[in-house]
Amino acid sequence: MLRITGGRVYDPANEVDGEVRDVCISGGRIVDEVAGAEVRTIDAAGMVVFPGGVDVHTHVAGGALNFARAMTPENHRDAAKFTHSPELRAGVGGTTPSTFATGYLYAGLGYTTVNEAAVPVLSARHTHEELRDTPLVDKSCCVLMANNELILDLLEEGETERAKHLLAWHLWAAKGYGIKAVNPGGVTAWKWGKDAKILSEPVPGYSKVTPAKIISSMAAMVDELGLPHPLHLHCNNLGAPGNIDTTIETMKLLDGHRAHMAHLQFHSYGGDDWDTLRSESARLAEFFNGQPNLTADAGAILFGDSVTITADGPWQHLLYQLTGRKWGNLDVENETGCGVVPYTYKGTNMVNAVQWAVGLELLLLIDDPWRIYLTTDHPNGACFWRYPEIIHLLMNADFRRECLEKLPDKAMGRIHLPGIDREYTLFEIAIITSAGPARALGMPQKGHLGVGADADVVLYNDDSDREHMFGHPRYLLKGGEVVVEEGDIRKMVDGRECIVRPGYDDNIEEYLRPLFEQYYTMSFDNYPVEMERLEGADIRECG
Amino acid sequence: MGGKVTCTLGEVKNRADFIIYWGGNPADCHPLHFSRYTLIPKGKHVPEGRKGRTMVLVDVRETPSARHADILLQVKPGKDFEVITTLRALVKNQPVDAARVAETGLTLEQLQDFADRMKNARFGVLFFGMGLSMTRGKHMNSAAALALVAELNAYTKFVSMPMRGHGNVTGADVVMRWTTGFPFGVSLSRGYPRFNPGEFSTIDVLVRGDNDATLVLGADPGATMPQPAIDHLARTPTIVLDPKVTHTSRLARVHITTATTGISAPGTVYRMDEIPLPLKPILESPYPTDEEVMHRILEKVKEKPAWTPASYKEVPCA
Repeated sequence: MLRITGGRVYDPANEVDGEVRDVCISGGRIVDEVAGAEVRTIDAAGMVVFPGGVDVHTHVAGGALNFARAMTPENHRDAAKFTHSPELRAGVGGTTPSTFATGYLYAGLGYTTVNEAAVPVLSARHTHEELRDTPLVDKSCCVLMANNELILDLLEEGETERAKHLLAWHLWAAKGYGIKAVNPGGVTAWKWGKDAKILSEPVPGYSKVTPAKIISSMAAMVDELGLPHPLHLHCNNLGAPGNIDTTIETMKLLDGHRAHMAHLQFHSYGGDDWDTLRSESARLAEFFNGQPNLTADAGAILFGDSVTITADGPWQHLLYQLTGRKWGNLDVENETGCGVVPYTYKGTNMVNAVQWAVGLELLLLIDDPWRIYLTTDHPNGACFWRYPEIIHLLMNADFRRECLEKLPDKAMGRIHLPGIDREYTLFEIAIITSAGPARALGMPQKGHLGVGADADVVLYNDDSDREHMFGHPRYLLKGGEVVVEEGDIRKMVDGRECIVRPGYDDNIEEYLRPLFEQYYTMSFDNYPVEMERLEGADIRECG
Repeated sequence: MGGKVTCTLGEVKNRADFIIYWGGNPADCHPLHFSRYTLIPKGKHVPEGRKGRTMVLVDVRETPSARHADILLQVKPGKDFEVITTLRALVKNQPVDAARVAETGLTLEQLQDFADRMKNARFGVLFFGMGLSMTRGKHMNSAAALALVAELNAYTKFVSMPMRGHGNVTGADVVMRWTTGFPFGVSLSRGYPRFNPGEFSTIDVLVRGDNDATLVLGADPGATMPQPAIDHLARTPTIVLDPKVTHTSRLARVHITTATTGISAPGTVYRMDEIPLPLKPILESPYPTDEEVMHRILEKVKEKPAWTPASYKEVPCA
């Protein structure tokens, strides 16, 4: 049992805005009161108390990330090193940290829950093996379904009801938490070296299935199944100049259904080509503000080295042609694909400068912090361990102006950031890093400090240097255990996995089995991930 | 330049109409490759099966795989890099000196036809084996092959895949990456992972005699490694975990017999395309599994005082 006393508490979900109050913990959860001699007290005077951070969109485990690790050993040569000790496993940080290091680095920010945003069902077993080796954070994952050809075949035949059962079956087979749609139709098209850039045009290989049809039917299916997290949507035309039209059209297609718009920064560009690229964040934010069914994460970029990893195969081929750097591509049979291209965002490059501004603009112009969350689409826009740099930029308009002065002149007329004075408060930072994403993920036990919540609590020194403050938590509690103490990781605990069991018609297996044996290359019975593979799974029944 | 443009084996089965095997002999070494994944199956988009596919075999001699091939291109030993480089030029319509091409054992006409076929394929795939990656040029050959395939994607869909084998070598590589950040050639001697192939790769460590003990798990280096490496294994304490007596176990100080994974022990094997397959035991074994033995060793190691850089001072100098 434990009492945190004297700290200023920021708990937006319970409308606590910096009040000095006690937080009591017992049995791994927040409780009203603790008493007795065995209660440990942490004196949090001079500190701020936040619910543990929640990352709604990150890539930390699985085939694609591990592919990137193989491709970019040079990025780890100068990376943070983690030396083994009786408590800690060895590892490296950098652009694609090893699994143990991933847990340590998230704990080093005060984050306690992460959502791995792109998991193919075929290799989900691998993802779970990595997540098992990722300590200190609770985990969930989104399963890639918008280019699953068995589903698209059913949509072609107009069998949406059966498609819904198939979707639910796959979610459970992968032991996933949510449904992810990446470049709907485009990844399937990429299997023939093509893309799906126009939402109303049939996907190559189909006559009736269009990206629009995939998006609208999949969002509806997710809502009908009552999944806790809405459709997690990576729009078509990622990264392309002028893609704002596709993004807004996509939002209109959803027609009131819930959706989480992933890494919106990469989808908010105007212009016709790289020379005329400009920020359209203001237009996007204005439209988004009027769509209460939607949430989004920023996908902000920071200057420096990154590795782009996405299921969006055609985009990665283009990026390889643009940069002439390494290119990894992994098409996954019948389901999805992935591309890996190392990338360096340069402050002197006009396009990168606009991208940098767009990420911040979206966070500042979308007026409801409950609907836009801090992410960098790790490791695509920047590494997650650089979040404190973004928090500093959001909380300090003067610092932003200093940074703006260093941008190339060519970028200045194309962005909105110079005219934005808004500064985030600590209360709002607690929303975009914890309370908001927990709500979007539909995890009532996360992102707040109310009675019954998981005791994931972080204490920061109230330092005027916000970057230092959010990169150096003084204490971190995970499930009530003190894992970071006086800035050091002192104790290792395993995180849990959150998975969803949706309702579906059991007969769907009879439909699926013969198709599977025809189109896949492993035995049908070996396809679903066995429950025993997961350590500490919390199953959420649904529908 | 670098990277790898690849896919899972089901993509080949469902789509590939043009299949190249280069420097490998799957008929003997991967006997189910043709029938399960590449040539024979009727794929979703190749409903005619074998008739819908063209297979080109590139090798230095006519292996048993040759009778499965539609076209055999016999390269002079050690000239693979030159052939690939010529193909990269032809694919991009660059001029090529026919006299230089002749040194490879193939004619310019043959290579022009090969390049044209690659560009005109609907979905092409290049499988390459150790006849390419471990002969003259070594990793330069692999890099050239991977680059050729990447560049072909400007014209059509093309992928490549190394023909990995030897049990669960892909699995070892996959697990090394997520635990240490690097695929192989990792040293943990400073307490954190460092990667340097040629310095920390197994053969190099053994040949230099850097290590004073060796633990061998699921491998038989005594059968395949260079003699100086084998000599070092014999000279120093070597511990082998293996279900069977092997060349390595014969020269080891300790051989712990373990249950055969996949027959008597569960586990996961990663296929050459990095798809994990569960292994389900069908027989009971009187022997412990590799995992159990490793855990027991680890428990004993943990009883020793922690050896971390922080406690360097306490470690007696040899």
